[in-house]
Amino acid sequence: MNMKLRKKATGGMALLLVLMSLAGCGGGAKETTTQPTPETKSTAQTDTDKPKEETKDTQGSDPKVTGDFEIQYFVGGYGDSWWKEMLGEFQKKYPDVKIKESAGSQINDQMKPRWIQGNPPDLVYIDGAGSNETQMVKDDQLMDISEWVKQAKNVDGEALTAPLIAPPQDYGGGKNYTIPLVFGSWGTFYDESLFKEKGWDVPKDWDSFLAVSEKIKAAGINPYIHTGKYPYYIVGGLLNSGFVSENGDNPQILKDQEANKEGSFKNDAVAKTLKKVVEMRDKGFFDNASFGITHTDSQMLFLQHKDAMIPNGLWVENEMKKDVPQGFKFGFIPSVMQKPGGKVVAIPYTSNIAIAKKAKNPDAAKAFIEFIFTKKEAVRWAELTGALMNVKADLDSSGASDVVKTAMKYFNDPATIVAPVFKLNADLEQTENDATIALLQKTITPEEWMDRMEKAAAKSR
Amino acid sequence: MIKLNNKPKAGYAARRRLFIAGFLLPTFILFSIFTIYPLLRGLYLSFFDWSGGSETMNFIGFGNYKDLLDDEVIPGAIKNDYFLVFWKVILIMLFATFFAVSLTRLKLKEYGLYRVIFFFPNIISVSVIGVLWSFIYNPHLGFLNSFLSLFTQKSVDTNWLGDSHLAMWSLLPPSVWAGIGFYMLLIIASILGIPSSLYEAASMDGAGQWKQFTKITLPLIWEQFKTSIIHIVITTLNGSFIIVKLMTDGGPDNHTQVLGYYLYQMGFKQFHLSYGATIGVLILILSIITTLILQRLLRRDTIEM
Repeated sequence: MNMKLRKKATGGMALLLVLMSLAGCGGGAKETTTQPTPETKSTAQTDTDKPKEETKDTQGSDPKVTGDFEIQYFVGGYGDSWWKEMLGEFQKKYPDVKIKESAGSQINDQMKPRWIQGNPPDLVYIDGAGSNETQMVKDDQLMDISEWVKQAKNVDGEALTAPLIAPPQDYGGGKNYTIPLVFGSWGTFYDESLFKEKGWDVPKDWDSFLAVSEKIKAAGINPYIHTGKYPYYIVGGLLNSGFVSENGDNPQILKDQEANKEGSFKNDAVAKTLKKVVEMRDKGFFDNASFGITHTDSQMLFLQHKDAMIPNGLWVENEMKKDVPQGFKFGFIPSVMQKPGGKVVAIPYTSNIAIAKKAKNPDAAKAFIEFIFTKKEAVRWAELTGALMNVKADLDSSGASDVVKTAMKYFNDPATIVAPVFKLNADLEQTENDATIALLQKTITPEEWMDRMEKAAAKSR
Repeated sequence: MIKLNNKPKAGYAARRRLFIAGFLLPTFILFSIFTIYPLLRGLYLSFFDWSGGSETMNFIGFGNYKDLLDDEVIPGAIKNDYFLVFWKVILIMLFATFFAVSLTRLKLKEYGLYRVIFFFPNIISVSVIGVLWSFIYNPHLGFLNSFLSLFTQKSVDTNWLGDSHLAMWSLLPPSVWAGIGFYMLLIIASILGIPSSLYEAASMDGAGQWKQFTKITLPLIWEQFKTSIIHIVITTLNGSFIIVKLMTDGGPDNHTQVLGYYLYQMGFKQFHLSYGATIGVLILILSIITTLILQRLLRRDTIEM
């Protein structure tokens, strides 16, 4: 008996060990569901405790938003304080709605199984690694909001699309699936203090860019660095604006590239832009260290004045906050490839918000969109994240960074061409990244760059 | 009497079977769930066109395999994979055997210390190794260039990971460095299993260290040697993804692309999960073929002690 008992116990323990290791395997993929902030919770509770008539009173004429409402949002450089604040206020306004947050830095991977199984959240903020809105549209995961977005009004009673800097992206045939929430611009960054100290002129166009690069090089500093590991930085911050300038300031070329149109990668505008890049390369303006390094490494070298200029996005100041040396002052120019007297070109990037096609509570999702797309919340976004929300708001008195304020001035200036939001599909983006690095390393010619892209575009058609 | 004799025997056999099943079944279930099922699932997926995100998959037969043949990146990736296999096998085995023999046969006092030092890279996470070596290779701030600059007039600014000719070679030192310790331990263990009387007899007969190594050590550790080589080959073909992901992302312009990373890039960055699965099948086939060929090449008569 004793022997048997012992055997059983050992067997049980072995089984337990196996189960434990299994549990360990499953744990990693678990979805993290953040609890609503304590503040929200208490208001929700007290509200439900109140008699029903009173709740109705507080809601007034607003349409009733009830039921479960699940939102998925990526938490990265912008943090989650804005989201927590918005969801808290949304809960106060609609006490009957039960909010579920699925958020975190790995949320895209964690939620993927649910999207595949057809059980997605109601609303999704598309940002961060593993997310791609073009692919989500292709995979038929997002709701067609073309009709709704035209007549929707935000909670201030203003038309939803009226204050937007970038309108909802057109996915062909006038169809909208996403609304840009974050708006920013690619461009060239430099240290204002360093330029002032050395007496260098901030480039206004291609000629002055070449002239100042020559001066910088003579002073023993590399004029230009970029992250070779992520070549889309130099594509976004240098090449794309060149395409527009050389295309007679017509940004349609970028939309054509997005649509994989024949000849959109092999034409005069592209050839002339690549010629300029080759000119920079042959004059030795690119820091040889660029190849193979990450964006962080390239930004560190830029902060340490090993390099004078860097193509980047508006987030860079916030991203490098902890490492900025004393006296360093970020300066921003949207483009450098325009002819003297030509218009400045701003190449935008956006992060979008979208309703799932299989949302269980689309009304709540729509109500939340109407709730956040206001001038007031845009200012809060700028203050809490240091970046720009896609709503034209007066930021001068806000806590937004100087770079963001400068960028806002460029966007409002009629002499600036703000290109439409566009995004190449992942295959084309990869090909463009590889080809651009190869061009900068002299392993291919501009002609070969264009041929490679045309071939990839043909394959995507 | 017969009945009495049989009964406990039957009970014994049943219990014995249960006992064996108790060991085999859990392993078999785990093996099926985590190895057999993903393998078959990958094979199944390779016949579909699936982005990895949509709810529906389209059956396209051998479409992915046709694309695989036309893909210009694949030949380069295979070449790079075998570049790593070739140099890793040679360098790791060379160093591991050298260290193992020196530590055991030269009777060093600090044997324990050296063993720990050489094994150390194996306990560091691969991610740390990748980041560490990225720092070493950094063109402006890295240790390697600063060190080399000590001997030159002009400061060295070689871009180890960014240069299309150097990048692949630069991936070797971290891979080799991280691999030596484990195989060294394997070889040490088998050397320690050789009776010292053999060496004593050999040295009495006038055999030097080199002769002892080639005539006694190597033949007697050959089985471990073979296992180590095949293990390096398999782990390299399946696992070179990690070092590439950490250090170059396959760049510049696919010059350090390996099949493992290309699978990841296609499956998760370019949203062709089923094509990624097809690359996985290719890796499987290559691994099997290579292992079979090596088994044949390395076959020798087993020497009994």
